[in-house]
Amino acid sequence: MDELEFRRRIYADPNTTDSDVIEAAKNNEKLRAFWNEQKALDNQLKQVLNVSVPDDLAHKLIWQQSANDLARHKHKTPWYIGLAASVAFVMGVGVMSWVNKPVSLDVHALAHMQYAQTEQAHSPLPVDLAQVNAKLASFGAEFTGMIGDVQVANYCHLNMVRSLHLIMDTPEGKMSVFIVPQRNDVDIPDSFSDTLYRGESMRMQRANVLVVGDKASDLSEVKQLISERMQFSA
Amino acid sequence: MFARNRSGSDRVLSDMKAKQKRYEALVHAFHADIYRYAYWLVKDKAIAEDIVQETFLRAWRSLDALKDENAAKPWLITILRRENARRFERKQLETVDIDDVSLHDDTQVAEGDVQDRDLHRLLGQLSVEYREPLVLQLIMGFSGEEIAQQLNLNKNTVMTRLFRARNQLKEALSQQNEIRGRHNG
Repeated sequence: MDELEFRRRIYADPNTTDSDVIEAAKNNEKLRAFWNEQKALDNQLKQVLNVSVPDDLAHKLIWQQSANDLARHKHKTPWYIGLAASVAFVMGVGVMSWVNKPVSLDVHALAHMQYAQTEQAHSPLPVDLAQVNAKLASFGAEFTGMIGDVQVANYCHLNMVRSLHLIMDTPEGKMSVFIVPQRNDVDIPDSFSDTLYRGESMRMQRANVLVVGDKASDLSEVKQLISERMQFSA
Repeated sequence: MFARNRSGSDRVLSDMKAKQKRYEALVHAFHADIYRYAYWLVKDKAIAEDIVQETFLRAWRSLDALKDENAAKPWLITILRRENARRFERKQLETVDIDDVSLHDDTQVAEGDVQDRDLHRLLGQLSVEYREPLVLQLIMGFSGEEIAQQLNLNKNTVMTRLFRARNQLKEALSQQNEIRGRHNG
């Protein structure tokens, strides 16, 4: 190995363990000196390359991950799913005060959240009248015409009561309509609200209808449409 | 008994916890080296920190794709290099005045004793294609083959670049010493 090649090999990797490089250095003091010099420079380089790292970087990285996760989670949960939960909550409160025995509301709210979330994911297309009526049939009811832009129609359980849940897009914003069978053990207040949403209920011939929307929204138009267009079979 | 009654959501929660733990271990083990790598790539402390944050965020999102813990380092470096490339794409789209960017260079105002400062500055002046393999070799402890794989180059190219990197540094250092010697003498 000539000197140039030796230098090339050492420059490329001062920590080389190649036997021909070691062999060449064995018999040549000049090459050995060069090698040692290069190793010393490498140690210095390592020191310089190891710049100081911001003290709190590790914590920041861990923090930003959980903060980001939370933001993504929030983003993924649209307000009307929160609304569905709040309806479940309101009905839970109603039923609880009526039955006068403890009901674990959080479980219902959570169950409904999960339902609504998967529902959103599974049905990206709007629902047509036939689909809504097919589901309404089990309440002995049907709509004579569409009541607006229904995006999701599916059964859900509000505190063990099987209900039909419609999520609608209206000029007043997203609204939820719940059709609940009339039962002696279910009590629904005429109107209810929490900090974000408000709802009103109507007693129809054989079902209760709840319309829930944004706190500031006007529910009357949707209520009006439903009472006009909902018919019950004899 | 509790284990038998564990519901689905409990299992989801414990999976999340396991993932969280794994992520934190990854952060602790590699954030320093990854930060240094980013610093020598972009020569700016603030941008380096930004890129590292992006890198780990992406790492978290695709953590399940990392099957082999031994591959964590090259995996993170790959993400980081992609993030850095993305930064340039963004910059091009924004069509900023070239005079406004990349003027700041933290390597040229390094602290430390004279020789370290010189070396730091000279490292900053190396072109990135020489500096990057050197950083992989010295900070990450990569072999020639590993560097070649990481940078998608063949091994001979890598060895040549490493040789040139040290050669240039050595020459620049001796020039510097000459100038200094003349000034002092």
